[in-house]
Amino acid sequence: MAYDYQAVHALDGMIGAIAERRANHLSVHRTMAIAMVLAGPGQTAEAAGILVSNGEFEARFSGPGEWLVLSQVHAPETLAAELSVRLGGFAFVVDQSHGRVVLTLSGPDAARILANGIAVDLHADAFPVGRAANVLCNHLSLNLVRTGDQSFDLVVMRSFAGALVDDLKVMARSHDLSVDFATR
Amino acid sequence: MASLISCPHCGTRPKEEFFIRGDANPVRPAPMATDEAWNDYVHLRVNPRGRIREHWQHVAGCRRWLVVERDNFTHEVFAVTDAAKAGEGAR
Repeated sequence: MAYDYQAVHALDGMIGAIAERRANHLSVHRTMAIAMVLAGPGQTAEAAGILVSNGEFEARFSGPGEWLVLSQVHAPETLAAELSVRLGGFAFVVDQSHGRVVLTLSGPDAARILANGIAVDLHADAFPVGRAANVLCNHLSLNLVRTGDQSFDLVVMRSFAGALVDDLKVMARSHDLSVDFATR
Repeated sequence: MASLISCPHCGTRPKEEFFIRGDANPVRPAPMATDEAWNDYVHLRVNPRGRIREHWQHVAGCRRWLVVERDNFTHEVFAVTDAAKAGEGAR
């Protein structure tokens, strides 16, 4: 029996009804190639070297010897296989493209909004551009990375995406925030 | 309760990010050890006041197991080490 599978975004129907852009904007990416990479025992340096030397991958620190790898170059269907080939026996790769949702929060109050729920110092000196960390946002664990002076990427488990967007709206209540999909 | 824990991998984080397993001192007996040894290991715990060693897991961060040395009376945290590193000396 053949099935027709249809990719439905975790936030379809919850956001995107109003296309508007305020001072601070939360942009939800529709598709993103994501994989989790865990280096083999004692092979952290080798795996990190392969990930860093390649401009096609963006490796975000998740834990010691563990990275969340995103790619703008590879498709969600091929990233995990590509990483497995490149990393060989140095690391284990698990595809997360449909398991996680990527959100970009940008605007002059981005750090202030996040500070309402995240207990990590987000000052540019303490959390510079490119720094990534797994953090607790209210009750949700997510991967946070600073992509610019005024922009952050949040990667959250798919089933928590709705709760996270609701939380962010509450956290941004005293700031001007709009929420929409990155592509319509 | 000590409220700020300096995770060796993630930096200073609030205690809400962690799960606390308990005393880090009991050493698992050999599989065929006496029932008394297993009973002690599974059920008996000392209840000290002062400096203690505990296993904490950074569930909302790096998800690593840590050994936190803290004072349960003054809430002072003395040391936080990765459990894999802390265990190397004991093994």
